[in-house]
Amino acid sequence: MSCVLGFSPRGDRGGRGGGRGGGRGGFGDRGGRGGFGDRGGRGGFRGGRGESTTKVQRTASRKWGICFLPGVFICRGKEDALVTKNMVVGESVYGEKRMSVEEGDTKIEYRAWNPFRSKLAAAILGGVDQIHIKPGTKVMYLGAASGTTVSHVSDIVGPDGLVYAVEFSHRSGRDLLNVAKKRTNIIPIIEDARHPHKYRMLVGMVDVIFADVAQPDQTRIVALNAHNFLKNGGHFVISIKANCIDSTAAPEAVFASEVKKMSAENMKPQEQLTLEPYERDHAVVVGIYRPPPKQKK
Amino acid sequence: MLVLFETAAGYAIFKVLDESKLQQVDSLYKEFETPEKANKVVKLKHFEKFNDTTEALAAATALVEGKIGKSLKKVLKKVVAKEAHEELAVSDAKLGGVIKDKMELSCVHSSAVAELMRCIRSQMESLISGLPPKEMSAMSLGLAHSLSRYKLKFSPDKVDTMIVQAISLLDDLDKELNNYIMRCREWYGWHFPELGKVVVDNLAYCKTVLKIGDRTNVATTDLSEILPEEVEAEVKLAAEISMGTEVSEQDIANIRHLCDQVIEISDYRAQLYDYLKNRMMAIAPNLTVMVGELVGARLISHAGSLLNLAKHPASTVQILGAEKALFRALKTRKDTPKYGLIYHASLVGQTTAKNKGKISRMLAAKASLAIRYDALGEDTNAEMGAENRAKLEARLRQLEDRGIRRVSGSGKAVARADKYQHKSEVKMYDPSGDSTIPSTSKKRKFEEVEQQEAAEEPATPATKPKKPKKEPGVEEETPETSEAPKKKKKKKDKKAAAEEGEEPAEELKEEEEEVAVMETSEKKKKKKKKKEEDDE
Repeated sequence: MSCVLGFSPRGDRGGRGGGRGGGRGGFGDRGGRGGFGDRGGRGGFRGGRGESTTKVQRTASRKWGICFLPGVFICRGKEDALVTKNMVVGESVYGEKRMSVEEGDTKIEYRAWNPFRSKLAAAILGGVDQIHIKPGTKVMYLGAASGTTVSHVSDIVGPDGLVYAVEFSHRSGRDLLNVAKKRTNIIPIIEDARHPHKYRMLVGMVDVIFADVAQPDQTRIVALNAHNFLKNGGHFVISIKANCIDSTAAPEAVFASEVKKMSAENMKPQEQLTLEPYERDHAVVVGIYRPPPKQKK
Repeated sequence: MLVLFETAAGYAIFKVLDESKLQQVDSLYKEFETPEKANKVVKLKHFEKFNDTTEALAAATALVEGKIGKSLKKVLKKVVAKEAHEELAVSDAKLGGVIKDKMELSCVHSSAVAELMRCIRSQMESLISGLPPKEMSAMSLGLAHSLSRYKLKFSPDKVDTMIVQAISLLDDLDKELNNYIMRCREWYGWHFPELGKVVVDNLAYCKTVLKIGDRTNVATTDLSEILPEEVEAEVKLAAEISMGTEVSEQDIANIRHLCDQVIEISDYRAQLYDYLKNRMMAIAPNLTVMVGELVGARLISHAGSLLNLAKHPASTVQILGAEKALFRALKTRKDTPKYGLIYHASLVGQTTAKNKGKISRMLAAKASLAIRYDALGEDTNAEMGAENRAKLEARLRQLEDRGIRRVSGSGKAVARADKYQHKSEVKMYDPSGDSTIPSTSKKRKFEEVEQQEAAEEPATPATKPKKPKKEPGVEEETPETSEAPKKKKKKKDKKAAAEEGEEPAEELKEEEEEVAVMETSEKKKKKKKKKEEDDE
């Protein structure tokens, strides 16, 4: 059904990439974009890809749209919502809405992902190109808090992936532990992320580091963890709160200085976008760590 | 050079086969790109597996603190025994220092070592042979959970899920038990219907059925442990004249099985209730002291968990359980319910209907404090709950007394109750009304008056000797039986005023309250007085 289209083969995605770029150009810059109004544009892409789908699928998919990120879906209805497939059917982690969809004779449940509460959802809706978190990925999540976004990441990576959730606070750690009880692909680590050697026993190599720690030395924290646990060519997604790093400087200046710090640590930034309609003076930087040297032909 | 690599499954000691590769730090990762290449650079010398999760937890906590745990010591001793001259590469410089001090092994930590560790970690599965990756991930998950719990000082007897499950099970059991008992009664009633009416208690019924089986055995079985004597006698009597049908042995056997089940479930229910009481006292002692175990458990179960319950404001705790009534009242703009589950607390049960609402509100307020103390506080004693309960009981007593307080005025003065005076209710026959011979004169002689007064004193000490009264006891009766003391006084005043011929306005007002009830008796009195005066 509609969900099958979400996992489109790589070649198709490459082909669509051009179309996507063009489409985005048409909407203007990212910061100015509204929230769910963009959904109409993405719907247009679906129409464009429609030649590969049958008519039945297309009408069925009018309710269930597909986001071009694997593992993340869009629910269309009275209000459009970003959703992930629920790994623990029947349970809400933080009171979010759940919706069930019939697919033949199986029921699949999806959980709504609130962009106002989750920076990752805000980045996706803001139009980030790649979050690198897909089914089967090993993710290290720094700053897991009570596990609200961690649960969605766990939904995306699925049972084959792993999420190492690091959180230092004990109160939030208790809630995180409860979330991890139900989801076996979350490994809870109640430790200070500043000292990755303290939890080296529990962690293997990861593919992506997601950091939402809100600390002034967060780049150094991410770098330390990357040197220890992030594979070569692995990616990182960092959420930067300008107020937290330096409350006196202008946000753009703060973001620029953070990007410079990252480059110094062998972390190459590839994308930056602000979380404008959902958060104020926040930015998300996506990059690659120790990029493989370019093959010169 | 040896490398110490810690994993969730155990400690691994590698030997670096080609140390020259370590010199080129930047291209070291190329050597570890495939498992075969990796095996050429380092080789697993020894792998010390953790025997169980407790050992792993101890090792992990030692690692976090930078100390040498028991298992690490064991491993290192083995190493020292074999290759004391080799250097040991460690991931933590502090740990390296401690090892050097304790075990006399020279340790090294540098960026090259860090890079080496990275590479080993990326090829962990292939380098550590004999350890399937599933087992490794399972061990790291288990170790992470145990470590986190250890950090958060998780205590298994403070888990409130037990309470929620136990109370749900209790309700389920009650329902099931009721069903089974009804079925048993109905089924056996086909054979011996009178037993159902004679033996009212359900458990006794099942035990009886189990013991007698077919009703022909009643006369021979001894039911003294199950039933009291009269009931037993009735049963024996009813068995003789029963109008039920005969049933086969197999049927009786099945009914007996059912009775077995019922008795077992009843026993289990009693056990479960005890367990629930114990758990409640352990998890939420203050709440238990304030509202009781059952109500406390229901509140926790309704809210989902103790922490959830603590987050609710006191007004919500008051009407938890009456949501249907609450929202219906809110929608139709009527009065909202005053109590929910808290109605069944003993404090609310023992008050009068008028005060239940007030007590329920006060109890909810104090109970929510107790809940927060239990859920988020550090120590686990029931002092606070006991104090609050004492305060509430004192307040309750105050509330009940308040009904006797003065309603008007400042409300501070307690209503004055007159000292109880015994009024003799002996009726004396008054012969003066018998005579039809007109009396000589109206005016009473002075000696007569004195005589009368002397006679009156012992008979009616309460009467105010304002003026001479001819009628001793008769007229006193009617006001005594029905009035409050205040009114009585007023009436006396009224009587006095009437005889003097005055009727002050205030007393008239008082009289109006009494309405028709007293009017007739007043009139009668007046009439009587007039008559007496006329007679005289």
